[in-house]
Amino acid sequence: MKTLKDSNNLLRSPTESVVRSHCRICHGGCGVLVHVKEGKVVRIEGDPESPISRGTLCPKGIASIQLVYHPDRLLHPLKRKGARGKGKWERVSWEEAYQMLAAKMNGYKKQYGAESIVLGYGTGRDNESFIYRFANLLGTPNVLTAGHMCYGPRVATSIITCGNLPVCDYERNPQCIMVWGNNAILSNPDEYKGVYLSDALAKGAKLIVVDPRFTKLADRSNLWLQLRPGTDVALALGMIHVILEEKLYDKEFVQHWVHGWREFVERVEQYPPKRVAQITWVPEEKIREAARLFAATKPACIQWGVAIEQSINCVDNNRTLIALAAITGNLDVPGGMVFYVPPPTMSASQFGAHRLLPPEQRRKRLGGDVFRLADAFAILNPKFVWDAILHEKPYPVKMIFLISSNPVITRANASMVHEALEKVDFLAVSDFFLTPTAELADLVLPAATWLEMDYVAEFWKRHGYVLARKKVIQVGECKSDHEMLNELGRRMEQKDHWWPTVHEALNAILQPSRLTFEEFAEKGFLRGEMEYRKYLKKGFSTPTGKVELYSTRMKDLGYDPLPQFREPPESPVSRPDLLKDYPYILITGMRPTAFFHSEHRQIPWLRELLPEPYVEIHPETAEKEGIEEGDWVILESPRGRCFQRARLTLGIDPRVIGAQHAWWFPERESPEHGWREANINLLTDNDPATCDPAMGATNLRALLCRISPREGEKP
Amino acid sequence: MTQKLAMIIEKEACWGCNTCELACKQENNPPEGSRWIQVKTQGVQKVHGKLRLIYDPVRCLQCSRPPCKEACPVDAIQQRADGIVLIDSEACNGCKACMEACPFGVMQFNSEKGVVEKCHLCYHRIDRGERPACVDKCIGRCIYFGTLEELLTRLGDERFKANNPQE
Repeated sequence: MKTLKDSNNLLRSPTESVVRSHCRICHGGCGVLVHVKEGKVVRIEGDPESPISRGTLCPKGIASIQLVYHPDRLLHPLKRKGARGKGKWERVSWEEAYQMLAAKMNGYKKQYGAESIVLGYGTGRDNESFIYRFANLLGTPNVLTAGHMCYGPRVATSIITCGNLPVCDYERNPQCIMVWGNNAILSNPDEYKGVYLSDALAKGAKLIVVDPRFTKLADRSNLWLQLRPGTDVALALGMIHVILEEKLYDKEFVQHWVHGWREFVERVEQYPPKRVAQITWVPEEKIREAARLFAATKPACIQWGVAIEQSINCVDNNRTLIALAAITGNLDVPGGMVFYVPPPTMSASQFGAHRLLPPEQRRKRLGGDVFRLADAFAILNPKFVWDAILHEKPYPVKMIFLISSNPVITRANASMVHEALEKVDFLAVSDFFLTPTAELADLVLPAATWLEMDYVAEFWKRHGYVLARKKVIQVGECKSDHEMLNELGRRMEQKDHWWPTVHEALNAILQPSRLTFEEFAEKGFLRGEMEYRKYLKKGFSTPTGKVELYSTRMKDLGYDPLPQFREPPESPVSRPDLLKDYPYILITGMRPTAFFHSEHRQIPWLRELLPEPYVEIHPETAEKEGIEEGDWVILESPRGRCFQRARLTLGIDPRVIGAQHAWWFPERESPEHGWREANINLLTDNDPATCDPAMGATNLRALLCRISPREGEKP
Repeated sequence: MTQKLAMIIEKEACWGCNTCELACKQENNPPEGSRWIQVKTQGVQKVHGKLRLIYDPVRCLQCSRPPCKEACPVDAIQQRADGIVLIDSEACNGCKACMEACPFGVMQFNSEKGVVEKCHLCYHRIDRGERPACVDKCIGRCIYFGTLEELLTRLGDERFKANNPQE
């Protein structure tokens, strides 16, 4: 690692200094050189030494300057004045805010039990393990996250199937990359960033893209499989069918390292390419071609993303893709899908203090008896929280403390979410801005951004790194969520489990490396020492020590031990009765480059890139519905409606509509900020019957809808 | 003799991520609505029976005989020995004649200052020995910057011509 002095050629003036840090505008990790002058951030450059991003950046990372100094940022704690959601606030001190939070939590815990208090985060701002620690020490099993449908399922399914999350080993030159449901360049792949994929392709790796939309990745691909939304697992089983039929699998690996091969083969036999072509709309020949290319090119890996998880087939999508990598001999081999070795730090689950949650409290996790795989990984489905507020079943939830989360915009069935948050006894929110969710709160805390905190970043990720994030500036009275929880925890019964300062907590995380935070920050990052084919020495970390294509854990939990395709609960096949009124398949959650979920609409540079939400529609469909390019349209599902603008494209099937998610309009009148206008989650469903039976993943990627022009002016 | 500088963007390798635009915004701070480099696209097109999605980051090409310079009635546009075309914002009267003259539509009007601006390859960075702000942050690594000679050697004459219609 170079010292900062070597970066001096980038300096503007003698008064400018540079801090080497790691971005966290999205799920994070890109190396940055933050230029500071007279106590202000003046520029953010990519760090060419970064092992994660190799000097590159994205629009959001650069625009962090406009985030930290935004005039609308929350700068001190606020207490509600007058009725809830009326936009009237009173400034309070941090001490008053802590006392209020502690008193509320102690009161609810005493009267209704700790389980009546829910802590929550959205996709997480690298604060996850602090939030879990606080909740577990408080005694509540209820932490509301996106973990049931984002990343959590990949981790949970990988752990039960092959012991750990397999990640594309871009550094060792995969020769074939299959990108499945992931626009990994524009969005945020966890672990490695888009530049690794881009570089691998520039070096000549073959590319297979599985996506209902024609993305730039599809443009660059050798093969694009345009499948019917929600049928991924059928397509993967069809490819495996071809691999078995043509004996393209790694016989030695299968013989020694697969559990349940016979049962698995029997299951796969139910998915011949001909049947799969009918289910998925992908022509039989393309299924065969993709299977052959993936199986014959070594090493190969699968770059998977969140899209395959937001489905009733979530768990089976994941384990079938693991099966594809495993039977082709690509698990834990250089350039394949590997298990990175973490550097010596405390693990995120240790820090999360899961063992300190009493078993009788763990058994009270909302929906834990329904979504039993999620429950085993301390994850719950949000619908159960809303029900517990609205109907007090199976017990009342009285308080929600949301730390970096905007569920009014980002959770399925937004109407229900809004109703529940209006009703809950006490709502506290820690965030950067007064979001439509924070507007409903009783207490709002001003959160620090990544430029305002020291942290051992990403010690929960599975890419074998921890990264130093360094405090560059202080804005208002903003505090990092880590510091806030440490200080709050010290004011409560759990005080002995926290540290005198948050710095000492960071030192505790680093203790196994024998480094202090300062020493670690000087190094910039730590990397675990990689070793391949670890299973040869110690097997796979599963009950049988093998890759469980027949899952003993799923069987124990009362689920089908083998993967299967379930027809999406609201599709032309499962609900032909709806087709007359809702003739199109709706995908939600197309990622733009400008925003991270519901964030960043108030940032001028980013909003300029995408001022309004759009929906992708095929020109033939648009013509049929009387819609022209740029028109405002009404999108409707059996549950609700919203408005977005039409963007005509040949890159989507005429039977499919692709909508963006997470839109609100910070510039519009408080407290609503137009949350009902373009919010696609007014259309999505959160009925547990439509969710993945094991993980509780919400189906956001295959619904039915109709689309029509919105007459008159823009809303 | 001063070497001519050039920037070439390999469109095929552009991912459409807009990072170059933000790098430019941060470096040159043009007002809202002014984009010195802008990633444009026609969207998904059918080309010879095949779907294609091409992004095209457009910006000033620093023409060798700049029509904007010829069109300027107050002689506010100058070309440096290294080929960079500069607009003197003190001299510019905001008449927009250069915007009319530019065949590529890359000149941007700064309504706050009442002057025309455009990409100048971050000449202030170049003069310090750095590269333009957009180059190194590009995920697709599709922005090439250097002397014309270097780039010609690196990319091949044909490819260079295809990307630089003004030559």
